[in-house]
Amino acid sequence: MIKIKDLEKIYRTEEVETVALNKLSFNVKEGEFVAVMGPSGCGKSTLLNILGLLDDPDSGSFIFNGIEVAHFNERKRADLRKRNIGFVFQSFNLIDELTVFENVELPLIYLGVKSDERKKRVEEVLDKVQIMHRKNHYPQQLSGGQQQRVAVARAVVNNPKLILADEPTGNLDSSNGNEVMQMLTELNEQGTTIVMVTHSEHDARYSHRIIRMLDGQTVTENILV
Amino acid sequence: MFKNYLKTTFRNLWKNKGYTFLNIFGLAIGIACAALIFLWVEDELNYNDYFSNKENLYKIKDSQTYDGTTFTFDATPGPLAPGIKSEIPGIKNTARTTWGNQSLFSLDDKNIYEQGMYVDSSFLSMFGLKFIQGKAATAFQQLYSVVISKKMAEKFFGSTNVVGKSLRVDNKQNYVVSGVIEDLPENVSFKFDWVAPFKIYLDQNDWLQQWGNNGIVTYVETASNANIASINKKLYNYLDTKGQGFNAKFSIYPMSRWRMYDSWKNGKEVPGRIKFVNLFSLIAWIILIIACINFMNLSTARSEQRAREVGVRKVLGAGKGKLIVQFIGESLIMALISALVAIGIVYLALPAFNSLVEKQLFVGISNPVHIVALLAIALICGLIAGSYPAFYLSSFNPVTVLNGLKIKSSGSAGFIRKGLVIVQFSISIVLIISTIIVYQQIHHVKNRDLGYNKQNLIYLQLQGNMKQHFNAIKNDLLQTGVVQNAALSRSIVLQLGSNTGNFQWQGKDPNKQVLITVEGVSPEYTSTMGMHIKEGRDFYADIKSDSNNVIINETLAKIMGGKNILGSVLSQGDSKYTVVGVMKDFIYNNMYSPSSPLILFPDTSSVNYLTIRLNAKHNLPESIAKVEKVIKTDNPGFPFEAKFVDEQFDQFFKAETLIGKLASVFSVLAIFISCLGLFGLAAYTAERRTKEIGIRKVLGASAKGLAGLLSKDFLYLVAFSCILAFPIAWWMMHNWLEKYEYRINISWTIFLIAGLLALLIALITVSFQAIKVALSNPVKSLRSE
Repeated sequence: MIKIKDLEKIYRTEEVETVALNKLSFNVKEGEFVAVMGPSGCGKSTLLNILGLLDDPDSGSFIFNGIEVAHFNERKRADLRKRNIGFVFQSFNLIDELTVFENVELPLIYLGVKSDERKKRVEEVLDKVQIMHRKNHYPQQLSGGQQQRVAVARAVVNNPKLILADEPTGNLDSSNGNEVMQMLTELNEQGTTIVMVTHSEHDARYSHRIIRMLDGQTVTENILV
Repeated sequence: MFKNYLKTTFRNLWKNKGYTFLNIFGLAIGIACAALIFLWVEDELNYNDYFSNKENLYKIKDSQTYDGTTFTFDATPGPLAPGIKSEIPGIKNTARTTWGNQSLFSLDDKNIYEQGMYVDSSFLSMFGLKFIQGKAATAFQQLYSVVISKKMAEKFFGSTNVVGKSLRVDNKQNYVVSGVIEDLPENVSFKFDWVAPFKIYLDQNDWLQQWGNNGIVTYVETASNANIASINKKLYNYLDTKGQGFNAKFSIYPMSRWRMYDSWKNGKEVPGRIKFVNLFSLIAWIILIIACINFMNLSTARSEQRAREVGVRKVLGAGKGKLIVQFIGESLIMALISALVAIGIVYLALPAFNSLVEKQLFVGISNPVHIVALLAIALICGLIAGSYPAFYLSSFNPVTVLNGLKIKSSGSAGFIRKGLVIVQFSISIVLIISTIIVYQQIHHVKNRDLGYNKQNLIYLQLQGNMKQHFNAIKNDLLQTGVVQNAALSRSIVLQLGSNTGNFQWQGKDPNKQVLITVEGVSPEYTSTMGMHIKEGRDFYADIKSDSNNVIINETLAKIMGGKNILGSVLSQGDSKYTVVGVMKDFIYNNMYSPSSPLILFPDTSSVNYLTIRLNAKHNLPESIAKVEKVIKTDNPGFPFEAKFVDEQFDQFFKAETLIGKLASVFSVLAIFISCLGLFGLAAYTAERRTKEIGIRKVLGASAKGLAGLLSKDFLYLVAFSCILAFPIAWWMMHNWLEKYEYRINISWTIFLIAGLLALLIALITVSFQAIKVALSNPVKSLRSE
């Protein structure tokens, strides 16, 4: 599903040049659950942004679903993104002014799904993450675990092929964290490909494969399954 | 999708009530100001729309050239109207009117002065006066008939069903009411409550029958397919077919231009009132722009709070276009809410505004033009105000904003924000300077030495037998002790209405005509007014012994050669007059110009006014009461109505005073709106720099130092605005003053005052926030990061 080769990303300011990704190459197969680990500043987040089509690489190749997307313009990237990729963030990133229901509904709105269909799908997914009873609450009225469940619901509501999770348990206590990891595992079992960035060895063990990064390069790959 | 936007919009507005209030309130004030100005403009542009036949109505203009300079008047000869109607094709109808007469109407014990005109019966149909009682066609069948307004009918009779009833006019003659018409609205060129047959006036004024005498107004109705150019061509030389030596050249002037233009310089139409209309329309737009700038500044300043939302929406697949639509939609909603609030403000402010501009404007909310205009203003404001924030916000990089990185404030957004504040304050400062200069100029002219003392001078229109009994009345007035002197004159001293180009004197180029103002007065005139005789003598008290003598002013004396003027002879046809005195110039007609040539005749045959010099030492109401008693005793049957010369003098500055008042009101509002924006920006900056301030405090900065630090940046902006505003204001006001011959010099102190004022206002606005932050607990601000 994902083939990257010699990916490079360099951040420049007037005085400093920081190499975030240094000729990085690896593949992710469809249905795989991959964890990316490494110390702060090793390029994990940059990688995730590029995989999520939020950012583009300076050079190298990125083939997504058989299409070279490394140099897509913003509109093409946005289009591909909204059809294929769901995001889960450490800080949840729910919109404070929208209710649980409306937050989850948002990707479907941007996809142009009709109102009746939207309602059905949102309720389905809220049921799945067991937050249906709070659908009319605002994010700030929910606990961290509940907010992350909403975020997961939002990420999967349009049935993406790929979920990118950026330290999804970073802001949660261990029991809430386990619950979220459980949900991701279930999604993966149903066929969704997942790439997760994490600091937690415990969380990483839920994945099939751990890619360890240092200074913008992969150093080791551990296959767990 | 739209529903989703609406939700986010309203929830966002509600969450940030303070900003929402500043935004909506600022924009609402802007829209309300603009709405008030546009109501005024609409009223001005619709002037005379009451007359349904407006596009075919004209008045005759009369241009006369003296010594290369052309003067343009409304005065026309009596025979012109019937003459051109029968001789010039395309002219469907004509009507003559007097200038407006104040006459005393009496019924039983009711005696009231009413304003009216003597008009040809064609006037009634040409102008489509709306008859409630009677008919236009038959109204003037009888000579002494009068058509009165509904208001006047109700005043005298308590009803409008009064055709056939009589009113006594000027205690001389009974007139039969032959019709009652609807009251005229305020925004028409005519102000009258009665019209009576022109023939009455014509019979009393034989001189009107001559082609050389211009004394009445002529109106023309053209056929709807008439060729105006060809009518004007025939009119131009029309007088040459009636005799020789006439100077007047006629033309027709359309009703649609009477109000906005009708100003003439050397025979050419120059912009008149339209200048004010354009000026105030411009001010309305400027105020709207200032309000929109607030909106832009507050929205972009607040952008950090919206940044995460933008990021999330982008991650979820919203393109830039969709976000732009969302944010512009938001500002349109805000603008619409502001427009609604503005309607409320307009309702509240309209009575005060009406008394300021002396009009009876009303909101007319059901008027489709007003609804469309308001929606258009809201739409324009929403688009202008929303455009920049929309492009700015939608350009955020989701990676940056979702990682919680600060958006750089020193970049283009900060620069544009500063630029916008500078624009606002520059405009405000220009408005302050202009206001001060307008007021200085008005003050300057009002305090001009007119060449006589206008204080304690009252005048009355002559009524009944006052003219014949003048000597007795004068003696009785002097006896009261409150009156120093009294004189008769043809015109009010401020405005001398008669002039002629027919005088000759020895040494004058016979081909050159000099337009000279002529005024008939009683011998006490110059002494009553407090004018000065420079050479020679004043008139003798016995008017008969000066019957062929005149006094001229300095300006005429200069034109006549300047030396040995006393004893010179001025001749007009067969009449010869000897100059016995030269008086110092006094200012009349145009208060901004030097005096123009003038001859005073000791002639009371056609006087209309009694002017009385009160003794300044006595209490004014008491003096007036004593004068009233004398006039009523010596001339019973007429109510006493005296006017003050200095009050009439103030009327000359109505237009300038209006500009001054409006300019001051709107510059205060412009500054207020700018300050709302500045206040919001200061609050935002304070919020943004909380951490910096906390650290500075921990390191030992004083509250005073911090307040200064936070205020400083804004004061620089205002200072920079001054640099921009000063030359613009100077240039604008220099041009404005150019049109006045008697004017002030623009002093640098005005700029200093305006600059300091703007700085002070900005400082007060900003320091509130700065002090609040500077005094806050640093631990709190550091912990919150």
